[in-house]
Amino acid sequence: MSWVNVGRILGKDLRLGPRSPILLFALVMPFLITLLVRGVFGGLFDSMPRLGIVDLDRSVLVAEARELEGIDVRFLDDPDELRRRVEAGELDAGLVLPEGFDVALRAGERPPLDLFVAGESLASERLIVAIGTLELVRRIAGEPAPVEVGVVDLGEGGLDLTTRLLPLIVIYAVAVAGGFVPGASLVEEKEKGTIRALLVTPASMAEVLAAKGVLGVLLALLTGVGVLAVNAAFGAHPVALVVGVVVGAVMAAELGLLVGIWAKDTNTLFAAWKTGGIVLFFPVVFPIWPELPQWIARLGPSFYFLEPIFRVATEHAGLVEVWPELAIGGGICVALLPVLAAAGRWLERSMASGAGTPEEAGVAV
Amino acid sequence: MSGRARIVAAIVAKDLRALTRDRFYLIITVLGLVAYVAIFWVLPSTVDETIEIGVHQTGLDRFIDQLGDGQGLTVTSFGSADALRAAVERGDEVTVGVSFPPEFLDRVRAGEPTTVTVYLGGEVPDAVRAVVAGSVRELAFLAAGELPPVTLPAERVVVLGEDRVGNQISVRERARPLFAFFVLVVETMALAALVASEIQARTASAVLVTPAKVSDLLVAKGILGTLLAFGESLVLMAAIAGLSSYPGTVLLLLALGAILVTGFGLLAGSSGADFVGIVFWTMAFMIPLAVPAIGVLFPGSATGWVKALPSWGLVDGLLRVSAYGEGIGSLGTQLVALAVWCVVAFVAGWIVLKRRVVRL
Repeated sequence: MSWVNVGRILGKDLRLGPRSPILLFALVMPFLITLLVRGVFGGLFDSMPRLGIVDLDRSVLVAEARELEGIDVRFLDDPDELRRRVEAGELDAGLVLPEGFDVALRAGERPPLDLFVAGESLASERLIVAIGTLELVRRIAGEPAPVEVGVVDLGEGGLDLTTRLLPLIVIYAVAVAGGFVPGASLVEEKEKGTIRALLVTPASMAEVLAAKGVLGVLLALLTGVGVLAVNAAFGAHPVALVVGVVVGAVMAAELGLLVGIWAKDTNTLFAAWKTGGIVLFFPVVFPIWPELPQWIARLGPSFYFLEPIFRVATEHAGLVEVWPELAIGGGICVALLPVLAAAGRWLERSMASGAGTPEEAGVAV
Repeated sequence: MSGRARIVAAIVAKDLRALTRDRFYLIITVLGLVAYVAIFWVLPSTVDETIEIGVHQTGLDRFIDQLGDGQGLTVTSFGSADALRAAVERGDEVTVGVSFPPEFLDRVRAGEPTTVTVYLGGEVPDAVRAVVAGSVRELAFLAAGELPPVTLPAERVVVLGEDRVGNQISVRERARPLFAFFVLVVETMALAALVASEIQARTASAVLVTPAKVSDLLVAKGILGTLLAFGESLVLMAAIAGLSSYPGTVLLLLALGAILVTGFGLLAGSSGADFVGIVFWTMAFMIPLAVPAIGVLFPGSATGWVKALPSWGLVDGLLRVSAYGEGIGSLGTQLVALAVWCVVAFVAGWIVLKRRVVRL
């Protein structure tokens, strides 16, 4: 194999690539999804109960409420609007502080607490809000707790859902850029017949496939590392993270090329991704719902780069901790190489026998 | 059947034949549906709405019962502080533990200082961390006989809306409209691909040299897209128990949803230069349309602007019917919004595709 030829074909793809919307799609979409997850849904994935407060008393409780741990406190002006939003489930609970509340509280008059909860709020959320509110008013009333609470942390804090969605964004970035782009590029060459033109040059099928594969790996690295950077998910061991993305990029490129070799046209390619993509994508479901049996995720090849990336990003794991999964991922990549070589030889034979022509692919030229 | 209807039916039949001849498309469609159904049934069907804590204590049962009012808190007792700590470290039984010293009650009542130890394992959300420490302090107040500094409502809190404690809508139930939406969107792509291939191969022009008019072609594509999307989403909803409540209303919503995505399919098909372009345009439409679909997974999250998106009426309507058991009478806003968007999308798709076909 001549790497000079590989470089020339790759250069051609890189020059012509920007004309294709798929490249834009592969490069831009992961960042749009990040924007969507962080910007639009970021607040939704926050598991903290949402407490709305209307302060008609200019109460000092408001300043204290801003510091409440574990409760997302929002301030409104109108009690009716607060009730409407609680009833609609937009807030989990509402608290109205009537005029004279602070004075009555400090005077020990035990003023009524106008606290209400949404019918759809969870029992645990109601408890959190009730306890949090009681703590607040006791603080304002100047009642020191008759007990000291010593907290012993035996593990690390849980992950919010936005973080747990990170594998979804990463797999999208890596699979589309690394897998779909080289596959689509190959199929496009088959449909337009340009692959035949390439093969009458000194370039071999192996070099064509290598060039497409390198293109996929480069794009997947670019988008994979890019989305991790945008999501501030480099963790403490960026090298381990990059190794994980490389394994993912190579695996996606190999799988993408295999599908691209097999698919007779873009419709077939897309249909294959539509269904086959589930095999790549299903392991991302498991971090989102940790209560699911996690062993199932290990059945998907993408687990062996997603899990290390996720652990490096969220648990600050290093290569030492994640190498077994990465090694299995690398093993899958190596195991796919002879399959890819055989598929390449099959494609070459098919083209030599007249199959794989634009007419065969059903494209009008 | 009138002449025009016969022509439209012939074009629809031709397109259906073309699709059914594509065995791969059929297999993939079936496999895709099977996968969606399988994923749906794997999703959690219950909602865990209690905080589970392990407690090591003596003589505090009635205070602990008072604290959670029997709701929101599940307590597991441990015989010793060491056993509790070990259980939290393992994380298989409880992830939060509270260990009260044996002299806790006496000291609190005597106003003497005492310390309660809270063990927190991994995966404990901030909200739970805060509430456990707060609960311990509140329990101490209760044990000391100190009343809260405010008067609480008779039932502790006032519940607005239907009280769903113990009867929450599960993730599986909430995900049902999302699955229906994705099936509809996938059919958008199928229609867009069909339209684009006719434009590319100029078979649309060939059809127009027959007695068929442009309007016949457009009506046929619209009917085909709607039938495909409606049919597939109907099969999906039947397989994921989405027709058990008010099936007529679900059918109406799916039909409107099918018309909506057909409009976008016509737009994507006439805009895309090739299949890759179609994917690009379909995704461009799908991203904003997916916002309400994902939003229904999170109760109360849909803000005003989300409700203005075309797919909101569809997914919110499906959620209300299939998960909350609401009938057509309470879906006025959703149905009107969806119907308006159907008209907008379909007319836009019709105009753009017509211009494209006429220029061929």
